[in-house]
Amino acid sequence: MDWAILWEYRAALASGLAITLAISALAIVGATIVGVLVGCLRGSKSYLLQRLTGTYTELLRNLPLIVKLFFLYFVVGLPALPAALAALVLHQSAYIADVTASGLRSVGAGQIDAGLSLGLKRWQVYRLVILPQTVRVMLPPMTSQYVSVIKNTSVVALIGVADLTFQTQQINVETFRGFEAATAATLLYMLLAGAVIGVMTRWQRRQVAR
Amino acid sequence: MNEPSSAQVWIWRVLVAITLAVSAWGVTQLDWSRVAPSWQFLLFALGRSWWLALVAMAIGIAAAMPLALLRVYGPPWPRRAATSLIEAVRATPELMIIFWVYFTLPVITGSQVTAWNAALGSLSVIAAAYLAEVVRAGLYSVPATQREAARALGLKPIAVFRLVVLPQALRNMLPALIAQLVSLFKTTSLVYAIGVMDFFRAVSVTNNAVYAPYPLYLVLAAGYFVSCWTITQVVRRFDPAYQLLE
Repeated sequence: MDWAILWEYRAALASGLAITLAISALAIVGATIVGVLVGCLRGSKSYLLQRLTGTYTELLRNLPLIVKLFFLYFVVGLPALPAALAALVLHQSAYIADVTASGLRSVGAGQIDAGLSLGLKRWQVYRLVILPQTVRVMLPPMTSQYVSVIKNTSVVALIGVADLTFQTQQINVETFRGFEAATAATLLYMLLAGAVIGVMTRWQRRQVAR
Repeated sequence: MNEPSSAQVWIWRVLVAITLAVSAWGVTQLDWSRVAPSWQFLLFALGRSWWLALVAMAIGIAAAMPLALLRVYGPPWPRRAATSLIEAVRATPELMIIFWVYFTLPVITGSQVTAWNAALGSLSVIAAAYLAEVVRAGLYSVPATQREAARALGLKPIAVFRLVVLPQALRNMLPALIAQLVSLFKTTSLVYAIGVMDFFRAVSVTNNAVYAPYPLYLVLAAGYFVSCWTITQVVRRFDPAYQLLE
């Protein structure tokens, strides 16, 4: 064991971590926006919208992430970073759409009627009655979706984006110190996942306490 | 449940028909002559991906059972060990686990592993950790009253588990177990990174040899979609309301 190698490569590891962090954050935001939107449309009354959004999730969920990634990178010809981001957003948004749809379904339709009959406007019903309850139901599954995004970012190393996994492999190739590098990277990934879980759990507790 | 308006149903059907027709036309327009000679190679590689997923699933279930039992019923220290093992694997990217087993483990043990064994090993580890959580959820899904009732009837703890808890738990966790196979099948595509000739690598290799990206990407997408969709339909058969989440 030669842990000093990590200190020697600290700049590479730090830049890899920064890239993983940036891609994760952007992909989480993007996948949440797209996924919640698709999920809301899925819960709409229109048959056409239900089928269209259903096809969207079915298609994206049954293809591995790297098939989408390589398609966007090699066939469509996007640059590496946009391809990585688009693939991650497409992939996770399908799951988040399902989480959103089942979250909305868990709040009974009677609640909308009750809100309307109390004299609230339709947007007020959604804003004040449906949304708070849906968010509460959605937080636990969303936490695992976000952890998935962080883990899935490691796939971008395969198209040459210099993220944490890529740097680990680089250290392994240059110095044969794969064990030390892999340990460091694994711990950093766990730290990121732990941070997301921590933040989401706190938010969840606040929601329940209300 | 409100009836969908028939106009929308028809618009949808026409849309599907147009999409199918255009896709079918597109497929015939592609140049298949360079891809066609490789069909056996590609089909065989798809079979290899299935084999990887199924064997890893079998090993995974065998390992997940004791892990889950330890996590639920175990004494404090083994329970903590099982919990940390499961959580560590679940928090680590799948690609990192594959690299761990292939590149890093030989450094520690001093003996080389083949890419195929590394792929099988890492997929089994991944399957075991996720399946252990499925089994745990299954065990929790059996109400405690069932156990108490069985105990009150005079059954010994082992008999209670074997005759009362396990059969009900298995039935409850079946959809989730099969659903994990979808996720595992998609994960097999990552072993391409360590040089295993799975479906993904076979398609890339064919493309490098004959350069026909459009037909080959179609084959790639179709191979994975049909495989995963088939497993999904099996899950829906067991439980139509099951929510496939990962």
